[in-house]
Amino acid sequence: MPSLEGLPGDERDWVRRFPHLEQALAHPLDRRRTLKLLALALAGGGLAGCDPGTPDRGFVSAVRAAPGVIPGVPNIYASAHVRDGYAHGILVTHQMGRPTKVEGNPGHPASLGATDIFAQAAIQDFYDPDRASGPLHDGMPAAWQEVTTALQAVRAPVGSVPQAASGLRILTGTVTSPTLGAAIDALLAAHPGAVWHQWDAIGRDAARQGAALAYGRPAMVIPDLRQVDVALAVDSDLLDSAPGHLRHARAFAGRRNPVQGPMNRLYAVEPTPSLTGVAADHRFVAAPAVCDEIVGRLGAAILHNAAPSGGPDWLGAVVADLRAHPGRALIHLGPDHGADAHASVHAMNEALGGRGGAFDVFEPPDYRPAQPTSTLSALMDDMENGRVRALLILDVNPVYQVPRFAAALPRVPLSVALADRPHETAQAARWHVPLAHGFEDWGDARADDGTATILQPQAMPLYGGMSAVTVLRACAGDAARSAREQVRQTWRERLASEADWRAALAAGVVPGTAAPRLDAAIATVLPPVSPAGSAALTLLLRPDPHLWDGREANNPWLQELPRPLSKTVWGNPLLIPPELARSQGLRNGDEVALSVGAHRVALPVWVQLGQASGCVVGLLGSGRRHAGATGDGVGTDLYPLRDAAGPVRIVATGRTVAVACTEHHATLVADAPSDIVRHGTLARFRQDAGFLGKMQDHPVPAAALYRRDPGAPVAWGMSIDLNACIGCNACMTACQAENNVPVVGRDEVLRQREMHWLRIDRIYEGTQSAPDTFFQPMLCMHCEQAPCETVCPVGATTHDSEGLNVMVYNRCVGTKFCSNNCPYKVRRFNYFAFAEQERRPPISRNPDVSVRARGVMEKCTFCVQRIAQARIAADRDGVAEQVVTACQAACPTQAITFGDINDPDAAVSHRKASPLTYVVLPEQGTHPRVTYEGRIRNRNPAIEL
Amino acid sequence: MSGPAAVAPVVAPGETAQSLTERICAVTLREGARPWTPLWWWAALAVSLGLLGMGVIAVGWLFYAGLGIWGIDWPVVWGLDILNYVWWIAIASGGTFISALFFLLGVEWRTALNRLAESLTLCAALCAAIFPILHLGRPWFFYWLFPYPNTMGLWAQFRSPLVWDFFAILTYVLASILFWYFGLLPDLATLRDRAQGQGRRVFYGVLALGFRGSGRQWRHYRAVYAVMAALMAPLVVSVHSIVGMDFAGSAATGWHSTQFPPFFVFGAALSGFAVVLLAILPLRSLLGLHAYVTERHIDVLGRLFLTSSLCVGYAYVMDAFATFYGPDEADRTMFLMRVFGLYAPVYWGTIVLNIVFPQLLWWRSVRLTQPLVWLIGLGVLVGMWLERFQIIVTSLARTQLPSTWGQYTPTLWEWSLLFGTIGLFLTAFLLIVRLMPVVAMAEMRAMLRGPA
Repeated sequence: MPSLEGLPGDERDWVRRFPHLEQALAHPLDRRRTLKLLALALAGGGLAGCDPGTPDRGFVSAVRAAPGVIPGVPNIYASAHVRDGYAHGILVTHQMGRPTKVEGNPGHPASLGATDIFAQAAIQDFYDPDRASGPLHDGMPAAWQEVTTALQAVRAPVGSVPQAASGLRILTGTVTSPTLGAAIDALLAAHPGAVWHQWDAIGRDAARQGAALAYGRPAMVIPDLRQVDVALAVDSDLLDSAPGHLRHARAFAGRRNPVQGPMNRLYAVEPTPSLTGVAADHRFVAAPAVCDEIVGRLGAAILHNAAPSGGPDWLGAVVADLRAHPGRALIHLGPDHGADAHASVHAMNEALGGRGGAFDVFEPPDYRPAQPTSTLSALMDDMENGRVRALLILDVNPVYQVPRFAAALPRVPLSVALADRPHETAQAARWHVPLAHGFEDWGDARADDGTATILQPQAMPLYGGMSAVTVLRACAGDAARSAREQVRQTWRERLASEADWRAALAAGVVPGTAAPRLDAAIATVLPPVSPAGSAALTLLLRPDPHLWDGREANNPWLQELPRPLSKTVWGNPLLIPPELARSQGLRNGDEVALSVGAHRVALPVWVQLGQASGCVVGLLGSGRRHAGATGDGVGTDLYPLRDAAGPVRIVATGRTVAVACTEHHATLVADAPSDIVRHGTLARFRQDAGFLGKMQDHPVPAAALYRRDPGAPVAWGMSIDLNACIGCNACMTACQAENNVPVVGRDEVLRQREMHWLRIDRIYEGTQSAPDTFFQPMLCMHCEQAPCETVCPVGATTHDSEGLNVMVYNRCVGTKFCSNNCPYKVRRFNYFAFAEQERRPPISRNPDVSVRARGVMEKCTFCVQRIAQARIAADRDGVAEQVVTACQAACPTQAITFGDINDPDAAVSHRKASPLTYVVLPEQGTHPRVTYEGRIRNRNPAIEL
Repeated sequence: MSGPAAVAPVVAPGETAQSLTERICAVTLREGARPWTPLWWWAALAVSLGLLGMGVIAVGWLFYAGLGIWGIDWPVVWGLDILNYVWWIAIASGGTFISALFFLLGVEWRTALNRLAESLTLCAALCAAIFPILHLGRPWFFYWLFPYPNTMGLWAQFRSPLVWDFFAILTYVLASILFWYFGLLPDLATLRDRAQGQGRRVFYGVLALGFRGSGRQWRHYRAVYAVMAALMAPLVVSVHSIVGMDFAGSAATGWHSTQFPPFFVFGAALSGFAVVLLAILPLRSLLGLHAYVTERHIDVLGRLFLTSSLCVGYAYVMDAFATFYGPDEADRTMFLMRVFGLYAPVYWGTIVLNIVFPQLLWWRSVRLTQPLVWLIGLGVLVGMWLERFQIIVTSLARTQLPSTWGQYTPTLWEWSLLFGTIGLFLTAFLLIVRLMPVVAMAEMRAMLRGPA
């Protein structure tokens, strides 16, 4: 805030900023007048707490409930969660008019009913107490009228600057929203010379350019993993975060359980483990430069129908396998590789004959694909040269992410940042206009396949704010037009009738908006894949899997969500390969100075098994300066290194930093297959389908002493398919949101007191450099012979007739003996009043779930509140209970099946009858109601392990 | 008994009932030539009160801030709280062994020791009894463990070892108090009769409950004392067995072992004899009890001490044997971690202090070298504390699923609580030593008059 410098002591400056103050100071103050003013301030304070009401939204007396709101009965409205422009359809659950939970929209192609962690955590973003509460001008509070005036000033030419070079620039992320695009277009049309720049901090520009290069025009290449038998993922994020990743994960997992149907086969080659790599049947470790080289060799082999020359010894077998499945083979390349490599991969996929099946080419969903002339660097060039008069920054944070932008911004006379919080960019810009949350105003967005969703507001704005569309309209001098009218206008043609409009709102999908197929042919001549220069040490800067580009830094659920592989939370240690750790004598938590050329930061290291030697990985998105009270200063900001050039070096500083991690011991690598995660190969499964069940060393002891009473007609049980689980953590976040699971903070995680009811165990087998990695969701097993129940002296944890192991919080005195006696350690204890200490407002909680007090034990309940709701619905409608637990609902791969195991036709009964089914720790004789389906991998026998 | 010890007298030659009563009353009443309480007592009390104050602050802060101030965590939910409880309750066993068990066996040397030993038991049991309440997440609801009639129709859960434990401790503390106090009655009457000051007469008179030494009173007294001794002797075994079952009754790695009840009784005997030795050796000089606590006593205590140490050693061997004989892989992993892992010094400290050092007591010359015996006793108290650390913490830190492994580091507040209870113990014991007769005069008189 350079404009604030010199403020203290400069009284005239204060007066200039607060004209009312000048008037007040003009009158001499006496005691009487002071008291009057104080009384007025007190009364005003009370009044300000009231909802002002707006002209179009009158007060509604709460004596009569709003239509459709029944106390205790949730309402559900469709909307979408938009990340980097692409929409995932969601259904927002409201309790008495307040959003409390997000579910996936089964009718939406990018959701199919599932959600990712970001959509689940959107509730925390919405209720974030650090969101902007009002507009700021040069860091000082301003009135909304002043904002309107300022936005209109964007239009006015300044002095001698001619209209034609109006110098107006708009900076946004990727825009797929037709309404927002139209509003931008309208502004551009009114201002010849104005330029729209699209930029994402974590961009997929190389992938876009690669597709454009391959097909001669902007194109979206979308795989369809349902029709893929063999896939090769090269440093890919297909199941992690690529557009449509939830759909890809669903399709992939649908072909992973050999009991359910034929398996596909996935090869992965990558420098650092990803969810995609861990899910693969064969995972190969290669530095990024080697990945590019492999793409080159693959191209040479596949495009010219030759055997691959050179390269790793497995390459020949992989190429042969891909070739052996014409039309059903696919190669996918991650976004961190060059456009030429992407183009080459597209050509290979065409050569493998998968078009129309394994993948297809569509019109991109972007409103207007980004042009090479309107990149961020072009904008920064103009800013530095003073050619930008007015800059609208709509919901992006370049000041944090691009140091060069931060330096250039003060040269723009009028900069307006539309931001949800006073973040780095909002503070550096002259104006900060609060952005309405996606739950607060109308909008629309498209999924990766082009399907459009209309975002309807879910609640009255909590803090006040404008949507991007409204801001653009205000710039055009048309502030009166609401976002709703504009969205309606956009879809007037397609949804002509009110009934159609309402149906589209209810469905969360505008029918028939999927992008058309392109018949663009693959280019015949493609640039060769340029080999990346190899260095002694390569630094890969990747988006944080949970904080993404840093936007979620103030989201406590995501900060405390253990990263899938490293299990670290609240901070971003530098991930180093085990070889480097050994050669440099580094251990987890040792601080190093990481330098790229002249830029240098200090941060702790974390040994990441299965990472390419000579390759260190930094996670972007931490070290925020102005994210909010939760996220400020957590971790280290690595963005300054991204644009730096020069050799990468790490030097130990000799200091040690405590790194919070939910795995509270040294990383273990089992040298023999464990009984806990059972796995085997497809070949073995074909010989003997039940081989996993026979892995048991000791027979399950029969519980002869006590009667195992089947009890009620319903018996709840769960089956978790380890073949499907990709470790994405969506279930953990969903559980946290559904069950009011508190966040404990970094210090308490360091004291091993995290509270997650559902955790995902990550288990390594094999070698440190290339371990076999397994994920295993672990939650209360609801044992039929529950060891926790017998040791509780007050009977606070007991069994109900339907097999639930229920926890009576009010009865718990906190002996913690139940946790001692739980072999699975799924019970969590409230050492402090964790829920009370959370910063989230109480209205954001699920009212159906008790908030636990200090000193009581808690654990997974199988979402007993959902069971109760389902029972009410079943009693009312006379049908069988349909219970979907929160974790099950969120799971993109449908790894979790829940239901009545007494019903032989229930899906869960079928799953439990699978020959892959096994019990964890059977020798404990606990008879868990949660069983697992062991993981089968479709290894290629031609590849030596 | 054979050897030279058998001929050593339990009371110094020349002592009569008269001289005994006078000397012991002088220690308590201090109405003769030196009416002041000795300086060592005040100094010890000051230190004890300081420690006690620290403990009071630790408890106050615990109630205000919650269990989170301790270092216990997700896998290791029990730490120093349960550890200290088990340690103290074991210390509390010594008095009962000496006083009740050997009374029933008619061992003559017990008479001079029983008052002090019982007092030690009482103080240690009090210290032990507060931990089960403090370790609760919501300590204000501790009475829910008691099956009392209530409008909620809720009852304690009798399958839980913690309920058995609650009853065992409650019974043990109450019985210890009664046994100690009942045995005091004739001596309190003696003090009442010999005291000069009015205040002292009233004080001891009220406490003596009207004991006048009539034949009828003596008859009742002896009958009740014998019955109570007969109750106390099995009680000391049951309470430690049930403490053992707190662990054995659970399925946790390293705890689920049928040998735990006798193992804990052995451990209790060892620490009980250790603390009696620790107290008796200095008090013998400070209070001038050489005539009544002779070398014979120290020799006998040393032998008992050695015997219990051998029993504990046997239990350690059986623990290791059962681990490797049994089928549980997690048990084996945990045991290897215990012996070679992060907490290995704790394990080896236990072995050395509890088993190796006490072997010195095979030699009579060592048994009669009082400073050495005292040091071995202190070592065993530390060793028993370490043993509980490895049983509780190492087991919980290495359970069945490797993903749930963790560790535990006690915080300042847990240490303050441990030293606070040491302060409570010492304060209570010093008060008893100052205000009550330190030797059971009536029983000693009976023995001195004796059949001889």
